[in-house]
Amino acid sequence: MDGPLKELAKLEKLTSDTGSSKGKSPSTTTSLDSLLQSLRQARDRLQAGELASADVLSSLSQTVELKKKDVEERQKEIYSCINKYGKALDKKFPTFLPSYPPLFSSSESSIALERTIALHFLRTGQFETAETFIEESGVHVDRRLHDNFIDLHHIITALRQGNIAPALEWTGRNRGFLQSRSSALEFHLHRSQYMHLLLNSGIPTALTYAQSTFPTFFAQHESEIKRLTACMVFLPLTRLKTSPYKDLVSPSIHSDLEPMFAKEYCASLGMSRQVPLRVVGDIGGGGALARIEKGRKVMRERKSEWSQSDELPIEIPLPPENRYHSIFACPVSKEQSTEQNPPMMMSCGHVITKDSLQKLSKPGGRVKCPYCPVESAVTSALRVHF
Amino acid sequence: MSANRLNVDGIMLFEQPFARVPYEDYRKVFRTSQKYVEKELGAVQTSCGDLSKRVNLGTVTAEDAAKGIDGMIARVETLKRKLSELQDSAGAPTLGVMRERLEHLAQVESIQSTTEPEFARWADVRLDRWLVDWALRNGKEQTARTLAEHKGIQRLVDIDLFSDIRRIEDALRNQSCTEALAWCSENRNALRKIKNTLEFDLRLQEYIELIRTGKRIEAIAYSKKHLIAWQSTHQQQIRTAAALLCFPPKTTCGPYKRLYDKGRWKNLADSFRLAIYNLSTLPTEPLLHLAMYAGLASLKLPTCYDPETRNADCPICDPDLGRLAQEVPFSHHVNSTIVCRLNGKIMDADNMPMAFPQSGQVYSKEALGEMAAKNDGFVTCPRTGEQCEFSALRKVFIS
Repeated sequence: MDGPLKELAKLEKLTSDTGSSKGKSPSTTTSLDSLLQSLRQARDRLQAGELASADVLSSLSQTVELKKKDVEERQKEIYSCINKYGKALDKKFPTFLPSYPPLFSSSESSIALERTIALHFLRTGQFETAETFIEESGVHVDRRLHDNFIDLHHIITALRQGNIAPALEWTGRNRGFLQSRSSALEFHLHRSQYMHLLLNSGIPTALTYAQSTFPTFFAQHESEIKRLTACMVFLPLTRLKTSPYKDLVSPSIHSDLEPMFAKEYCASLGMSRQVPLRVVGDIGGGGALARIEKGRKVMRERKSEWSQSDELPIEIPLPPENRYHSIFACPVSKEQSTEQNPPMMMSCGHVITKDSLQKLSKPGGRVKCPYCPVESAVTSALRVHF
Repeated sequence: MSANRLNVDGIMLFEQPFARVPYEDYRKVFRTSQKYVEKELGAVQTSCGDLSKRVNLGTVTAEDAAKGIDGMIARVETLKRKLSELQDSAGAPTLGVMRERLEHLAQVESIQSTTEPEFARWADVRLDRWLVDWALRNGKEQTARTLAEHKGIQRLVDIDLFSDIRRIEDALRNQSCTEALAWCSENRNALRKIKNTLEFDLRLQEYIELIRTGKRIEAIAYSKKHLIAWQSTHQQQIRTAAALLCFPPKTTCGPYKRLYDKGRWKNLADSFRLAIYNLSTLPTEPLLHLAMYAGLASLKLPTCYDPETRNADCPICDPDLGRLAQEVPFSHHVNSTIVCRLNGKIMDADNMPMAFPQSGQVYSKEALGEMAAKNDGFVTCPRTGEQCEFSALRKVFIS
């Protein structure tokens, strides 16, 4: 953004009155002020009854001419600066956004989109915006879901202020669910509280807290509980900070609770761990559209429609956290596996699709693995589920 | 990790209108200032010349001459006031918006990876901007205003531009061309440059409305004044328009029936919207739609629609987003990626996929190893209930 910013700084200087005139021509205000001065002087001289009024006026005409030119010069300078700025923008943004036929315009789609947006506002805690939007669009959002998000927001706000009570109340109600996910959320809440007490209220209070809460978690978090109790030998804080237990005083053991809680809460509602609209937007706006357009352009130039119009012409790389499903592409046929053409594992452990397996099979129902020397019976291949 | 590296070019593809809109605004401010200068200083020059001539001829008293100069002083003072008002009310604020937007974009240029917290904050703002843009284009102005205000991003969104669009569009829907014509005359040069003929269509419509209400004489005068100017490019249409004088509004004759069609008003509103988007380099689709198109297509897989393989974390598996994704193509893959359904991790040579010997259900070695450690070396498939010793699992090779 350096190019446009540089031009913008010039433009700002040229048009500001306060800054000393940086341009080649005097600033407009200066020119106009000096013009006013000349006009007033001329008037005073005329009023004083000087005889040479013709001279007064002819010199005034010249001044007017001159000052007008000055102002025009300045305008020209500003104009050329604006143009340069425009050119800098053009250089920075060489490609226009593609134009697509209207998207998501069917009534089902627009309802789906409106609901997605309403949920997005609720999920990100923007309740006032959500209310306004729901009223303006008339989109229907399940009341229970709505209340759930308000509940979530309250708990998160409390966590941010260091109050874990509402969160604990929730984990208490959902202990079964959390255990089935082997989530450490509840323990981490207690851990944060314990460290807070240890550093602020002293060892006895912290120990009482530990005695009342930690035993339930001993089976699962034995080593961590030992560390939590042992760390107090390094007190005070300054020494603890340089001890092997310094991770326990890092602010992240408190601040990580928020996203952790939100994740479990959303999972309990059957919702994703990331904000879905952000995920989709970040992928689409982070290069995917540019790549798709480039792929299409190449296809157009080759004048070949890509064979499957229902599939993108190119692969969009995705970060690991956005890989939600297994994809099996057969190493022999390069085709993706389907329900009709599932992945099969031969006895050597290599996997190819069923079609490829059939094609490679020899009379007698044997098949030689294309990737290792092992030969096995086609019937011994196992259908695998990823 | 290369997949997390920030693709700045890909990001900037969306930002041209963001930088461009305030620039066009500033050009407008400049044009206004130019107009003021030409008008006032031109007048001062003329009156000074006149006065000078009359003094030379000796037909003016010193007192009158002084009065003449007073007039010029008033003009220059007006110009000075107008220019400074323009700078304060439009020039400086627009420059401020330009700077803020460029700096917002400069911020993302300095970020290396999508995993940095700065990027998360930046992307949050970007999504908010897209949502405001979407809301404005879909007539949800209150939502747009509330959102922009709560997030403090008023200078990063174009609420004024869109409420202008809305005002003019509403006028067209209420069958008034006045507002749209005023806009055309403000932007005449720019429209001419892109060969846009919205103005002719508006003039033609006003002409048709005159005939519809039986004002034939006025219609002819109107045509002389406003339509003939377009003769070089629109001769055929002007001729048809002239013949319209002979046809009553209830005519069944094709070309004339079409001219009387009230649906033309909606078309005018659409053409106006296209023209103003074009001038402001705004795309015809909301930015949110474009980003979602590409994002959904990158993620969409046939397995998203199979209840067996549904993953609650996957955006496409969400019923609403899945519905929207039906409008976009599937993603394309040439290589296998095997994701563990126990812990969501991608399996590779360091974290091998392992299959249950009977059911063929595959999970990552890491997740199964953890399970075995807690259960005396036994593992259980959560989907089929198959149970076996960890050592009985079969290694799976994905090449």
